[in-house]
Amino acid sequence: MSRIGVFICHCGENISRTVDVELVASTASQFPGVAFATDYKYMCSDPGQSLIKKAVSEHRLTHVVVAACSPRMHERTFRKAVEQVGLNPFLCEMANIREHCSWVHEDREEATQKAIEIVGMLVERVKKNRVLPTITVPVTKRALVIGGGIAGIQAALDIADAGHQVVLVEREPSIGGHMAQLSETFPTLDCSQCIMTPKMVDLANHPNIIMHTYSEIEQVDGYIGNFQVTIRKKARSVDENKCTGCGICMTKCPQKKIPNIFDRNLGTRTAIYVPFPQAVPNVPVIDRENCTMFKTGKCGVCQKVCGPGAIDFNQQDTLIVEPVGAIVVATGFELYDITEKPKGSPIKGYGEFGHGKIPDVIDGLTFERLASASGPTGGKILRPSDGKEPKQVVFIQCVGSRSREKGISYCSKICCMYTAKHTMLYHHKVHDGQAYVFFMDARVPGKSYDEFWRRAIEEEEAVYIRGMVSRLYQKGDKIVVMGSDISVGVQVEIEADLVVLATAVQPRKGADALAQKLGISYDKYHFYSEAHAKLKPVECATAGIYLAGACQGPKDIPDTVSQASAAAAKVMTLFSKDKLEREPIVARVKENNCVGCFACRKVCAYGAVEEKEIRDRQGNLIKMVAYVNPGVCAGCGTCQATCPSKSVELDGYTDEQIVAMIEAL
Amino acid sequence: MKKKKMLISQQTMDVDMVRKVEKLSGTSVRRCFQCGKCSAGCPMATFMEHPPNRIVRLLQLGQWQRILAGRSIWYCVSCETCTTRCPNQVDLASIMDALRKLSWDQDGPSKESYVQLANKLFLQNIRTYGRQYEMRLAAVFNVKSGQFLKDMMLGPKLLSKGKLKVFHQKNRNIAEVEKIFSRIEEMRRKGEAL
Repeated sequence: MSRIGVFICHCGENISRTVDVELVASTASQFPGVAFATDYKYMCSDPGQSLIKKAVSEHRLTHVVVAACSPRMHERTFRKAVEQVGLNPFLCEMANIREHCSWVHEDREEATQKAIEIVGMLVERVKKNRVLPTITVPVTKRALVIGGGIAGIQAALDIADAGHQVVLVEREPSIGGHMAQLSETFPTLDCSQCIMTPKMVDLANHPNIIMHTYSEIEQVDGYIGNFQVTIRKKARSVDENKCTGCGICMTKCPQKKIPNIFDRNLGTRTAIYVPFPQAVPNVPVIDRENCTMFKTGKCGVCQKVCGPGAIDFNQQDTLIVEPVGAIVVATGFELYDITEKPKGSPIKGYGEFGHGKIPDVIDGLTFERLASASGPTGGKILRPSDGKEPKQVVFIQCVGSRSREKGISYCSKICCMYTAKHTMLYHHKVHDGQAYVFFMDARVPGKSYDEFWRRAIEEEEAVYIRGMVSRLYQKGDKIVVMGSDISVGVQVEIEADLVVLATAVQPRKGADALAQKLGISYDKYHFYSEAHAKLKPVECATAGIYLAGACQGPKDIPDTVSQASAAAAKVMTLFSKDKLEREPIVARVKENNCVGCFACRKVCAYGAVEEKEIRDRQGNLIKMVAYVNPGVCAGCGTCQATCPSKSVELDGYTDEQIVAMIEAL
Repeated sequence: MKKKKMLISQQTMDVDMVRKVEKLSGTSVRRCFQCGKCSAGCPMATFMEHPPNRIVRLLQLGQWQRILAGRSIWYCVSCETCTTRCPNQVDLASIMDALRKLSWDQDGPSKESYVQLANKLFLQNIRTYGRQYEMRLAAVFNVKSGQFLKDMMLGPKLLSKGKLKVFHQKNRNIAEVEKIFSRIEEMRRKGEAL
């Protein structure tokens, strides 16, 4: 005979505003099997939990139902509480009368009735809950970091410094990411290269870090503590172990006119190249699309001049499998492209800004390369079309961002600050020039940020014009900018020499594909979703996977570094234990019933279903049945729904329990 | 002028004039971030075509001619509400003073403004008589502005109440008053005063 305790939470006023909690409690106390029912203002608070604990001991309760918020919010809290007074935690269930009831209904009577029914269902379900032992799994104390930008570098260094091995995977030939492309950084105007390159070298030299550049994630198997990651190391055509980084191959390569993507196509590079001189590792890559040897089969100049004989045209992609216990995703961002997108894409280009066809209309990252001392112009601000120094530069903020029409409703967060920085850099380099900024709002929250922005206006004499630009067009060698100053209320026209667009921050292309490999969720923009916006900002909903940097949402460098260190701390917490406790809500196969059709294996998204032999005493094989590996099973229940012979059951959600819940209605 | 499209360039932005305003008023124009608090509290804003915040905005853009074309600066009563309340410590009342002074010197379109004429006549009277001679002020103003009958009906009422005197009353220390005026003129020549 079960003695069930029912605890109704007011959730401040969240529930009690629409649900008559006292009536729910008094009705619930009449349900068969319920020994005790009460209500309290904040059940999750310390007095609330004590109330539950006291009731369990006093009334010798065998099962507990807490009617409050979503189990995602507080199931762990209450299960822990009942465990402290000796009850098996899986005999405690939550009835969601907040998200499923009080928040979505207005009629008090109907909402109360619904709450009573929800509680009734959970009472019937909890009666049939089994005592479950916690599952423990071993933890592989190695971490994988995906992405070698500042987020990935920071996370990798922090984890490695704590004494754990780290595997870092970077898609490009060099680590460094976007930060390596920047000239100076706000709000202190220190040179990006000066603070970035030492970290890159630290990473490359760290004894605990294995770095795979020019590599991509092919496949991810396993689960928290026990991932198997397959990495595709793309063919570099250069042997990393032999290459000394002398660079003679690059000086001799006859293909010299290839646009340099690192310099935003402003400069050129050779077919065998390193993205930038400070690249780590300093090993070139052959760009097979543009290499004469790969196109015509004749050339091989680099191979002839290479002293150590590092050039290998026959090199193939290799697959490496790395066992890891935790994954930090730090794939970063890319900028919105104003050129017209193909039909069918929700994101349209900017026709009013010339679709990127006006050569002197550039984006912010291109301006960074112009202003960078290591850039294609050596740090001189020269416009791309004719190499002249622009005297009137117009900056336009919110290009793409905050535009429902372009499908990007969010604020890109970094543009206000970097545009202010650009006006300063420009003012420092072109003393007789004038910078104008068209902006809708200045969003500059952050330490020393507002002061920085005001400095651009008050001391560096940038003219800020509140209002958006409606159109740009070429007129002779000038670009006419048509905008409005809404604080004066007039139309404004500027003939500019150079226009810089602060284009929106977007997730990397292919972010969705990687998310599907990792089994993590992403939002409608393809930014990766954190488990909880406030309380779990670095964890994914998928256990063992953490987020760092702009892959989760637009972020500046200070925020990115903070989040990377936070993700590293989470990984270290995971690695602090040798064994990991997992929730035992997993599927079980009734071996007597199972006919071995393995329909469950086909539908299992986690690869948890294995084959098991059933033998008699003599060792003769009787049949093959399915076996669910409890370490891998995520408890989704797909197998239970699929099984034609009803041989698989998910603990806590068995068919019997579901039927009992329906009957309670 | 108000609605005309604004062409912005280094040539059309009169930075020198802005610097002059900043020097005369001893305050920074660039500090303003257009919160609008000055205009919100200004008792005269409803009479102005450019409310105070827009005057500062036009200065930021070096659009001196647009300010000069309007009469807003002459409506300012120097109550200093704007200066007191500005979050950025922009001394708007002083800016208005400076603008009026520069507008005066410029012989700009605001010369047509009767406000300026009234101001001028007012000060001339003080200088001549050592105090105000209302009858003369009204008469000369009406003649010079071409509105001969303006406020004529108020005359008898004011006369009967003794608010308007037919003959002037000269101040005994007129020499002292003259000293003040010449000193200000001297200071202006040296650029020490507005």
